[in-house]
Amino acid sequence: MKRFLVPLLLVFLFVFEGIFTQLFPADIFNGDYIFVPRILIIAIFFLTIYASLKHGIIYGFVFGLLFDMVYTEIIGIYFFLFPLSAFLFWKLMKIIQTNIVFVSLVGLICVAFLEAAVYVMNLLIHITSMDFSSFAEIRLVPTLALNLIFVIFAAYPLKRQFEKFADVLRND
Amino acid sequence: MPQFFLNKRLIILLVSIIILVALIGFSIRDRANLSWPEKFVKDTTGWVQSLVATPTQYVVGIFENLKDLQNTYEENKELKKHLEDMARLEAEVYSLEQENAELTEVLKIEGSIGDYDPMQATVISRSPDRLWHEMIIVNKGSSHGVEKNMAVMTARGLIGKVKSTTPFTSTIQLLSALDPTNRISAALQGDKKLFGTIEGYDKENEYLLLKGLPVDAKIKKDEMVVTSGLGGVFPGDVPIGKVIEAVPDQFGLNQTAYIKPEADFYNISHVMILTRGMTIPKDVEDDKEAEESEGDDL
Repeated sequence: MKRFLVPLLLVFLFVFEGIFTQLFPADIFNGDYIFVPRILIIAIFFLTIYASLKHGIIYGFVFGLLFDMVYTEIIGIYFFLFPLSAFLFWKLMKIIQTNIVFVSLVGLICVAFLEAAVYVMNLLIHITSMDFSSFAEIRLVPTLALNLIFVIFAAYPLKRQFEKFADVLRND
Repeated sequence: MPQFFLNKRLIILLVSIIILVALIGFSIRDRANLSWPEKFVKDTTGWVQSLVATPTQYVVGIFENLKDLQNTYEENKELKKHLEDMARLEAEVYSLEQENAELTEVLKIEGSIGDYDPMQATVISRSPDRLWHEMIIVNKGSSHGVEKNMAVMTARGLIGKVKSTTPFTSTIQLLSALDPTNRISAALQGDKKLFGTIEGYDKENEYLLLKGLPVDAKIKKDEMVVTSGLGGVFPGDVPIGKVIEAVPDQFGLNQTAYIKPEADFYNISHVMILTRGMTIPKDVEDDKEAEESEGDDL
């Protein structure tokens, strides 16, 4: 049973992102800013650090593909960038000590990397022609602010959950 | 060189970049239908989403009702004013409708491009990747009769078109999407009807851009813009928005009008998917199909 808890949690977060976007009062601040919930990738970052890199990358691929199919209909962008940012996160965490505060902060930095990479990809395939400064103002900074709030609330429960998961894996 | 091939990570990275380009290339082309794995995944997640969305929307609905109660008094006063005018309007509409029906019978006109059948649908999710992909997912799909490119509106006006369908859900691309291929044939209801296409959205000012209007046309503020119904799938006369101002375009050959959309692209919970009432004449449809199959060959 405990083995399925982590995939179920990630599926829940995946669905939660869509429903959060639907119900979030988007006309807050006149609708000038766009807040993107990125709690799923943050959970995958935590999984990478507290369970193993292998798990992080595999879940990154699976949920990246799901995200592409359901929410963007352009397959490839998140499929590629979720595992890549999980790997980047893992690389960065090898330099820094695994303190929960640092894990959260580096997680946010990697969310910023993911957002910027998605922007560049969309620029390349002509989905958008927005310049970087307006992207940063409209989407990047508000997204980081929202996810900072998410991380503050979710960091400790996520850590505990994934440590339990790692224990289960070790005992097998 | 051998060292290069021994570097496993580099090889993995290169292979994944090739796969990435191939996948993006596959999905970005103008697809008539989604592939079956995508349909399967979308239907499954759609089922889970509606499982979660229904109770949450119920709870949110209660809170919204409470919020509505706060300004009931003010609203009531306002509505009473409107109500007095309503009776007169209703009588007028009734007599006009009667007259219209009689006249069309005399002229033997069957149907108009303004006819449509609305189908109610509930929003179950919205793409979190906003700004790049303004899409909502609703709980009606191809098994309910939804087809690609159908018009979608809320009570206030047009919000977008159906981007793709699966048997039980469909994805709607909103007019506020930045996607340059998101085009809708529209008509400006001035003294003379002017036709153009809605192309693009100005995120900063929240305007839609109506392009391709003749350069010598006089366009006034607050004129209504509606769908033209000339595209084939969209019904006509669905309200889109009101003109704010018109400016000559880049080369001075046409005019571009800035349109303030009637509908709200943020808080959408129920939508209507419009099935065009008047059928396209058979021979035109055959032509279109022939064209499409030719296009596939290329």
